[in-house]
Parts: sequence; C-alpha cells; structure tokens
Amino acid sequence: MKRFATLLACAAAFALPVAAVAEDAQGTVKKDSYRFLVVPKVVHPWFDKVNDGAQAAAAAIKAQTGSNVEVIYSAPQSADVVQQNQIIDSALATRPDGLALDLLDPSGNRASLEEAQNQKIPLVIFDSIPPEGMAIPYIGSDFCEQAKIAARRLVEVLGGNGEVAIMQGVPTAPNHSIRAKCHREVFAEHPGIKVVAEGIDNDSIETAQQQAAAIMQANPNLKGWVASDAAGPIGIGQAIVEAGKQGKVTLVGLDNLPEMLDMIREGVADSSSASQPELQGYWSVMLLWAQATGAKVPGYLDTGNAFLTKENVGG
Amino acid sequence: MHTKPLAFLTRSPLAGVFLALAVIFTLSALISPYFLTPYNLSVIARGLAFVGLITIAQSMLMVLGELDLSLGVIGGLCGVISGILMVRLGLEPYTSMLLAILLGACLGLLNGFLVTVLRLHSLVLTIGTAGIFGGANLVLTRGVAITGIPKDVQYLGRGDVIGLPVPFLIMLVALAIATFVMLKTPFGRYMYAIGNNQAGARMLGIKVDRVRLLVFVVAGAIAALAGVLMVARLGTAQPSIGDTWVLAPIAAAVIGGVATTGGIGSPIGAIFGAGIIAIIENIIVLFGVSPYWQGIVSGVIVVLAISFDAISRRYIRRDA
Repeated sequence: MKRFATLLACAAAFALPVAAVAEDAQGTVKKDSYRFLVVPKVVHPWFDKVNDGAQAAAAAIKAQTGSNVEVIYSAPQSADVVQQNQIIDSALATRPDGLALDLLDPSGNRASLEEAQNQKIPLVIFDSIPPEGMAIPYIGSDFCEQAKIAARRLVEVLGGNGEVAIMQGVPTAPNHSIRAKCHREVFAEHPGIKVVAEGIDNDSIETAQQQAAAIMQANPNLKGWVASDAAGPIGIGQAIVEAGKQGKVTLVGLDNLPEMLDMIREGVADSSSASQPELQGYWSVMLLWAQATGAKVPGYLDTGNAFLTKENVGG
Repeated sequence: MHTKPLAFLTRSPLAGVFLALAVIFTLSALISPYFLTPYNLSVIARGLAFVGLITIAQSMLMVLGELDLSLGVIGGLCGVISGILMVRLGLEPYTSMLLAILLGACLGLLNGFLVTVLRLHSLVLTIGTAGIFGGANLVLTRGVAITGIPKDVQYLGRGDVIGLPVPFLIMLVALAIATFVMLKTPFGRYMYAIGNNQAGARMLGIKVDRVRLLVFVVAGAIAALAGVLMVARLGTAQPSIGDTWVLAPIAAAVIGGVATTGGIGSPIGAIFGAGIIAIIENIIVLFGVSPYWQGIVSGVIVVLAISFDAISRRYIRRDA
C-alpha cells in the first residue's frame, strides 16, 4: 500500500509539470464565446463576400470546439479614413476578442491600430498591409501579381500594341496603389503599349463609370482597360456598353463580383484576375481565434489569385 | 407656493434639444455596458470635436441666413496644405498650421466676397467653390496622403488633458468664443438682425456686407482649424479629410434649433445637435448594427430626436 502511495505521488509529481506545460502551451486557452469585429474599407459587395467567409469560419469553430463565435461586421458608409477610424475606435470600446481590418490608409489608420495594440486586442489585417514598423498578421493575395496577370492578359489580347488606361481605385489604399503600380510596370515593358489615361474611382462603381466614359471620350483610340479595385471594372464595363464600344475596347477586370462574372459571360469583359474574398474573411477569423487562444500565427497568409475567363466562370 | 417643475428650462430655447441629447445619452448608457466607459466617452468627444468645429462655423453662417457647402472641403485642403508646408517644404510645423488656417480665412474671404459683392447665392456659389477647392486638393496630392507629419504636432490631435481629448478642448474654446461674440456683443446682435431681416438691418445702419464678409472669413478659418487638427490626429494629411463634413454639420445645426432661414439659433444648440449625431454614430457600432441598416437606424433616431425636441418645447411652453 505504501509502495502504491509512493508510486502515485511520483506519478502525480511527474504529471503536474506536464499538465502545467499543457496549460501554458500555445493555443490552449479556451473560452466559451468569442466576439470578433470585421471592419472593411467601405460598404461594398466584395466585402460582403469577406463577411460570408468570416461567418463560415465562426460556424466552423463552433462546430469543432463548441465555442460560440460572434462575428460583427461594421463597415464605413464611404471610403473615408476618418470615418473608418471612428468605427475602429468605437469598436475598441466594446472590448472585442479580436479585430480584422482592411486599412484604407495604413498611415492614417495607425493611431487607431496603436490604441488596439495598447489594449492588447488581437489584430488581423486583410486585403491590405500593416503600417510600416507595426507587427500585425496580414492576409491577402499577392496584389502585384494579381495586377500583372491582368495587365499581361491585356497586352496579349491587344497583340502588344495600342492605347490603354488604368483605373486606380482609392489611391491611398495600399492594395489599390500596388496594383496600379504593377499595371504600369507591365505596360512599360511593352513599347507598343501606351498608357494614355488613369482614373480614380474611390471604389465606387458610379464614379468608375463616369471616369471611364470621360476618358474614352477624350481618347477615341483607347483599346483597353485594367482596374485596381473591384468596383472599377464594373463601372468601366457599363461605360463601354453605353459608349457602344463593346468588342472595340478590351476590358480585363479584377475580382469576382457577380457583375464582373456577368460581364465576362456576356463578352463585355475579356477576363478577370480575381482575389478570393471569402478566403480572406475565413482566415481572418481563424487567425483572430488562434491569437485569442494564445497560439502563434503566421505573419502573412496568401489566399491566392484566380484567373477567370468565359471558359471557367460557368453559365 | 406652487413651483413649476420645468420652469427653469422655459427661459432657454435649448431645452428641447438638450433634453433630446440627455434622453439619447441615458438610453445609450442603459442599453450598452460599453457606452459610459472613459475610453468610449473620449472616442465620442474626439469625433465630435472635428464635426463640432465645422458645425460652429456653419451655425454662424446659418444665423446670417447663409449656407457654406465648401467648409468641409476648405478643412481638407488646408489640412493638406499644412502637410505640404511642414513635410515637403520643411517649414516649422506650428507655423505651417497657422499659415494653413490663414489660408482657410482667405478661402472664406473669397466665398464672402463673391456672396456680398457679386450678390451670389451662398448655397449655389459654395457648391462651385467646393469643387474648386476639392479639385485643388487632388491636384496637389494626386489623391495620395502626405505622410511624415512631425510627432510633436500630433499631440494636438491625439493628446489628452485631464482625460479630455485636446481637439475637444479646442472645440470648446471655439464654442465659448463664438457664443460670447454672438450673444454678448453688438457684432453678434448685428448677425441676428441681418439673419432676421437683411433690408431692415441695412436701414438701421448696420454694415451688413462687412458683417457677412467677416463671418465667412471666420468660418473659413474655423474649418481650416478642423482640417489641421485632423492632420495632427491622423499623423498624415489625407486628401479625403472633410469629405464627410458637409451634411452632418448642417443637420446638427438644424437639430440644434438653428433656422436655415437665419436669425434663430446659437452655436451651443448646434453643438448639442452634433452631440446627438456623434452618439448615434457611436452606438450604431457599439450595438453592432449591420452597415446596411445603419442609415435607417440613424435616420429614425434623428427623426425621434427632432420630434422629442418639438414635443418637449410644446410641453415646456404649456408648463410655463
């Protein structure tokens, strides 16, 4: 009996530190419920897809762990960094378990992000990059590669010759400005391609349509378009149809909004280089949840790009 | 002795909007556990500061019977100019901010000159000048923010004094000055006289155009102050500063009892109105309202606030 007690005591002594280590190990702190906030750039169908992905991740975590996950989606009504900061600051007041953000301008959002870090609220940035010097995990596709896929396709369709235009999106948004820069880099490699105009649509379909219409009026020899945001190609497509230039002006679009897919099916657009917003929303919540449990997460997660043509978008 | 419970309020035309603000504040505090936290109150105060400054400027013009739709754009342009002066041209940061405020006064002077000398309608004119000033902003920045704003001036936008955000305190100072001038000085009485009856004010010997011109200048300077403070807040000069400062200040002033036809209202009432809007914007996020419902929810609350204001005024009048 004494021997058994000694054995038990030894086993307990051995098990205790093991249990303690298990308790302290990464990703072992479990809560019954989590509340995550998703703040996109603006109210926009592309971000609705991000939200769909975020809600799917919440359902997956609930199914696998039993923890309730509430994802609150709060979007600025316009692509305005002041308004976005106001939403972020108000959201921080609710002490969420994590905050996923698509930054309108990393430098302009910096103060709000620093406040979140001071409050030790886990952060994830999607579809954008963190402000310089701030270590925040971020998720997205390779924006430059996405733009280059589109620009190369346009060059190929035009046979390496012709006047083209670029729609910039929100110039201060890093993903948009990176894409615009990479469009220019590809066109600069082809002497026969001349960029005759650049528009700014601020992620608004209506503005994109107006800008594209005016640019096509001013440049009657324009042969092709690329865009740096999801709203841009939809507005450009509308302008092409209204101007009766379908088949004369080639549009290589961006992303996979339903209107974009319709335009590819109808032949208004040749193709689209698409990021995958559902995956960005899904992995944003997964990384927030992982951080909330104490787990380490990667600094960058690439959700990849897809190239969409009439052949693969389906009926 | 029979004392009327709300008699002390009957003397103030601000009673209705103040009660509406108090009701919204109390309900928000009761419904959301996060509302009354010091951090959240400072978030509301900081947000209110910028729109509040534009609201003060707009309410001064509205008392005159004028409307300036370019104030937000002046704020944005002057913010960007301050950034250019201190970052690209290397000027001393505070001097840059003062020069930008001076530019705001000049842009106000331009608006005032065209309104008073050419007899242009301020609402229509400032739609045009807003386009010019906004266009100049884009030309100067090409839509790209100016980064590298010196850390020491960022205190003006991000700092706190005894728990109150610095821009909020600056807004309170501007409010105190504007209220004092409008309610306690001959110049303020001239403003109300002009707003009530411009022709009558002329007949009384008031230099109507001079007063109107000066108010446009002051409004431009206040708008520029809001712009440079926002640059200090963000740490960058964003071309989009001021984009959302057009309709909210007018709505705030109207909610606060400032008549668009002139002659009625005060900056304090307008700030109460701005306070209502700031709280609505805050609680929409605290409550996690869907972005697609936010317009409806905030619109309904504003309608309820205005209705409450009107009903409470009627009640107070009857009680008196």
